[in-house]
Amino acid sequence: MDISRRQLAGVILAGTAAAQAPPPPTTGQSGNTELESARSARRTAAQIIARVPLPMTTEPAFQFKA
Amino acid sequence: MAEIPPDIFFNSISELNAKLRAKEFSCHELTQAFCDRMERIGPRYNALALSLRKDAITKAKDVDRELKRDRTRGALQGIPYGVKDLLAVKKQPTTWGAKPFATQVFDYDAHVIERLDKVGAILIAKLSMVELAGGGDYRTAAASLTGPGLNPWDRTRWSGGSSSGPGAAVAAGVVTFAIGSETSGSILTPSAFCGLTGLRPTYGLVSRQGAMALSWTLDKLGPLCRSAEDCGLVLHEIAGVDLQDPGSAGRSFNYNPKYNRKPTDITVGYMPVDFEDGAEPSAQPAFRAAFEVIKSLGVTLKEIQLPEFPYGALVGTIIAGEAGSIFEEFIRSGKVDQLADPHQIAGLKAMLDLPSTEYLRAMRVRSLVKAAFHDLFLNCDMVLAPTRLGPANKVAEPLDAPGPPTKSRGGLIPGGNLAGLPAISLPCGFADGLPLGISLLGRPFYENQLIAIGDLFQKQTDWHRRRPPMEG
Repeated sequence: MDISRRQLAGVILAGTAAAQAPPPPTTGQSGNTELESARSARRTAAQIIARVPLPMTTEPAFQFKA
Repeated sequence: MAEIPPDIFFNSISELNAKLRAKEFSCHELTQAFCDRMERIGPRYNALALSLRKDAITKAKDVDRELKRDRTRGALQGIPYGVKDLLAVKKQPTTWGAKPFATQVFDYDAHVIERLDKVGAILIAKLSMVELAGGGDYRTAAASLTGPGLNPWDRTRWSGGSSSGPGAAVAAGVVTFAIGSETSGSILTPSAFCGLTGLRPTYGLVSRQGAMALSWTLDKLGPLCRSAEDCGLVLHEIAGVDLQDPGSAGRSFNYNPKYNRKPTDITVGYMPVDFEDGAEPSAQPAFRAAFEVIKSLGVTLKEIQLPEFPYGALVGTIIAGEAGSIFEEFIRSGKVDQLADPHQIAGLKAMLDLPSTEYLRAMRVRSLVKAAFHDLFLNCDMVLAPTRLGPANKVAEPLDAPGPPTKSRGGLIPGGNLAGLPAISLPCGFADGLPLGISLLGRPFYENQLIAIGDLFQKQTDWHRRRPPMEG
């Protein structure tokens, strides 16, 4: 028997509910706060990476091949 | 119709293939039984994205006609499998696990599906996944169109990500193997959490044509199976040159278990803390026991130090640079706000602010990572470490919630991915009733030797044969 996606979605949702209620998305933080937090995490990552010394051998190059 | 005994759902590829050739049951009967089970049990773990029963039955009948004429196509002929829902299946929805892409349809099959089709494997389902493979940095297991991936060993625990459906489906005996993807941990983690053997191939060995791109320079496709041997059999069929994938390494893979070096010729590197008190306390006994089994194989064990790099920051920055470009239009259009996880939404939006200088710096440091791993493998043939430092997370808790304290540095998953190296995760015991995995990481294109040591490990243990205590 083929089941449609709509039917399948019903089965899946029922299964999920029976299994356990999934955790709600993180609340208490507005989208802007989440975005600022993500940007801050990126800045922190950049600072950590910047501590690694980079020799010339790491420079990006483009090679022409005959 | 022949009765399909329940044990069949947990058979290895070789076992199933032998029974098909011996005509203990037809491929049609087998496929039907797997489809029934998949539709009954798959949703219990939120593992099923889409049933492909109709096409699967048609292909199964074709296989039966071939077997009747003794036309064999190899070990995967007639074997039911599933794919992570980031692989295109012609004229079927490919959702990438995300609501904004719920109605997306492609008019072609992904390259790996074409290859598996040619050898007679039977695709019965698309399997669930974390939305957009979690590239925006998700915080909850529920970050998926199909809900949180639930672990067949304990439904209060996560099946892992981002290949959550493949992990749960193979563990639950819903498919015999599955194809997942890994950018940084998405094959190895569900394998460890669900008690499976998972193989992340060398970057470029398996074509990604027809797969959702998250990070062009990190994405890999690979199998989640019941054993190391099964991983070899699947990789044998899916690996190979594909000019449509710019990352294709131009290499093929022949699974040749008979022609590997003996364990006594192999040096395995390890970090002592990983097998002393580095992992979560409940997992330490299992990791110590697994270490002793590896030792008993006769390999030479050698203490090593993983090269010191900010692996997590590097992976995050490279994914941000590449996923930001790949999903730029999606993010700018505002459709990104339809995703399930606010953390992931914010992470994707923040990608557009990433300066090119930061991406370039990360890629330059990455070339040092690659060189450092090259040097590491001058002193050993492979590296052994826990895949994850403890069992699966609780579904009800944020994924970044602090867990039990650990001393191990980790780094094998992001480091191995940055360097494009192959790794295999093997079930190695339990903690709190949940499976654990150890990983072997090797130099590029070293899959055969990783599989060989994995196979020897599995001849000494039965962790890979354990089944979850499933009801019904």
